[in-house]
Amino acid sequence: MTLWLLFVLAMLVWVVARQTSAVVAATELEELQRRRSLLEAERADLLRRIRRAESHAVLVPRAESLGLRMPVDSEIVHLPGPGGEGGR
Amino acid sequence: MQGVFAIALLALLVRAAQVQILQGARHAATARAQRTERKEIPARRGALLDRNGTPLALTRKTHHVNLARREMVHPDSVIRLLVRYLGVSRRQARREVADSFGYLHGPFNSLEVEPLQGVPGVHVSEPELQRHYSDPELARAVIGRPAEPGRPASGLERILDSLLTGRPGSSVVLHDRLGNDIESPIGPRALPVAGHTVFLTIDARAQEIAEWLLQDGVEQYEASGGDVVVLDPKTGEILAVASVDARGRSTADAFTSQFEPGSTAKLFLAAALMEHGLARETDSVWAEEGVFQLGGRVIHDEHPSGWLTLAGVIEQSSNIGIAKFAERLSAERQFGMLRDFGLGAPTGVEYPSESGGRLWKPHQWSGTTPASLAMGYEVAVTALQLAQAYGAIANDGVMLQPTLIREVRSPDGRTIYRHVPEPVRRVLTPEVARALRAMLHGVVYRGGTARNAALTSYELAGKTGTARRAGPGGYVPGAYYANFAALFPADDPQLVMVVKLVDPEGGYARLSAAPLTRAMVEQLLAARSGVLDRSRLAVAEAGEGSEAAIDAGTVPYVVEWPLSEIPDTLSPRRVPDVVGRPLRDAARRLHEAGLRVRVVGWGVVRSVEPRPGTTVEPGSLITVRASERR
Repeated sequence: MTLWLLFVLAMLVWVVARQTSAVVAATELEELQRRRSLLEAERADLLRRIRRAESHAVLVPRAESLGLRMPVDSEIVHLPGPGGEGGR
Repeated sequence: MQGVFAIALLALLVRAAQVQILQGARHAATARAQRTERKEIPARRGALLDRNGTPLALTRKTHHVNLARREMVHPDSVIRLLVRYLGVSRRQARREVADSFGYLHGPFNSLEVEPLQGVPGVHVSEPELQRHYSDPELARAVIGRPAEPGRPASGLERILDSLLTGRPGSSVVLHDRLGNDIESPIGPRALPVAGHTVFLTIDARAQEIAEWLLQDGVEQYEASGGDVVVLDPKTGEILAVASVDARGRSTADAFTSQFEPGSTAKLFLAAALMEHGLARETDSVWAEEGVFQLGGRVIHDEHPSGWLTLAGVIEQSSNIGIAKFAERLSAERQFGMLRDFGLGAPTGVEYPSESGGRLWKPHQWSGTTPASLAMGYEVAVTALQLAQAYGAIANDGVMLQPTLIREVRSPDGRTIYRHVPEPVRRVLTPEVARALRAMLHGVVYRGGTARNAALTSYELAGKTGTARRAGPGGYVPGAYYANFAALFPADDPQLVMVVKLVDPEGGYARLSAAPLTRAMVEQLLAARSGVLDRSRLAVAEAGEGSEAAIDAGTVPYVVEWPLSEIPDTLSPRRVPDVVGRPLRDAARRLHEAGLRVRVVGWGVVRSVEPRPGTTVEPGSLITVRASERR
């Protein structure tokens, strides 16, 4: 009888421990998903800021305020890379 | 007493048996439903990227924020947090905090709401997936928007919807005693499958240049709208497409709005004549010194001429000349060539509601239709159709189907579609296509109508077209479509560009669309955009057309900033000795001297032509030959 009781108790402890560890894992998963979401948001925000910073709408007025202008074609010299590589 | 106790015990046992055995399953299900819930996990919509992988449309998680006044410990600090992290106005934050149950719709991204997590009285909603555009105005009309309640889907978001939409999943969540959801570790779970990622053919930088310059051109030439299409003639890929209307709003008119092209269609008649062996570029007609009566109609030329060759007719854009050449062609052959160039039929580009333009069949023609068609009237095209047709000339006579889709990748990164050039038909022989390109080169560099498009160091070929604009009651006085179809570079075109302006000041394409195209090429040359294979660009010798550009003050000068002295732009100067210098340094020194540079090879400068010390005119082309160190 005592053995049976111990067996049942052990089984209960095992089940509870398993459930607890699963809940902990699920919580960790949630946390990871939250962090991933944060990083994705950060990436999207940085991409947006980069695109904005290098856009004509931002660069051209700043360049013009410095007295600069867009080059005409004769002012552009494309230097070929080693072995005549130009690339796109 | 014992009997009563026994009956009560029996009743209890019966009831227990009823609850546990007969109704056990139902009660168990109710309990499970109270403790757990099956939830749909929405699938992430696939991303739209440009040809280089720059995100144009992404899906990200967003949140709303609920506020509970009674739970707040420090309402003022909540207001500060809302203003600082959510970017709402102080006034709005105060109003929502003052309310018993405030609500900020946002939507806010995870980064924005993170500092608010755990703040008493602030409840961040469960994440929702929402479409995000890193530059909402870039190619807006072409990309479109997914469907929302009360608004149908549009543009590529609509036509690619089945590819972009993933498959939602489901999961079982457990409710804890505080009402929070925790995903059940043992519940059945179907993971959502994200949508496919689509790489468009559009180049974000080229697109931005096209939009920027079009907007600029519309303002500069006081036009009431316009279109730009930039196409790769070797693949049919659309690299940039932009349209604006009179209010400056982005539209998809380049695909959906048709117009009479005017003189840009003259080349199609020349193509038909040469393809059928009915004329050569050297054949001449008498251009009647500018006035010609054909049937009951008087045709005028802007630049009166006498004898003109077919090439001269194209260069001078002579209406009389092309009308006379049109008499050599039967209606069927003229129609057939226009049809072969794709006029009157949609191109098949992946855009909803594309217009097919207008081209009447020969039995619907009047007596003057052949001459009208030769001059680019009685036929209507979209800017994309015109670009596709000129693309056939650039591509040695083979017309390709234009496309906006470059590649499709599945969520696990496998490429499931990659665009390969799709020939529609061979329109011309390579010889005729080459001859037509030579004519287009003459339009720009042999005193033709597009001198304003001439570049100094590279060569552009193209054709201007100015056509009266029709309204509901016929042609509107003083209203014109000005368009310019260009190939760049002229000898081995990498780009086909069509620029169209609606009602520009002064009307003529040579004064508006042509210089706008030139500006676009210059910006594409200067940009870090990958739409040009620079290794295949040859610097041209300064020709007749280039002189105008040099006279206009485009002689290259590199000056130190701040400017200390005004450079002398007129006097002859000596070629500096740059032999032995690195290529970059040599190019800079030659630019500083007001000279143009052509580079051959790479490495250290070995020779310069004309020789160092030779006196040359400003803007002269100096050939620099370089090789690697030995």
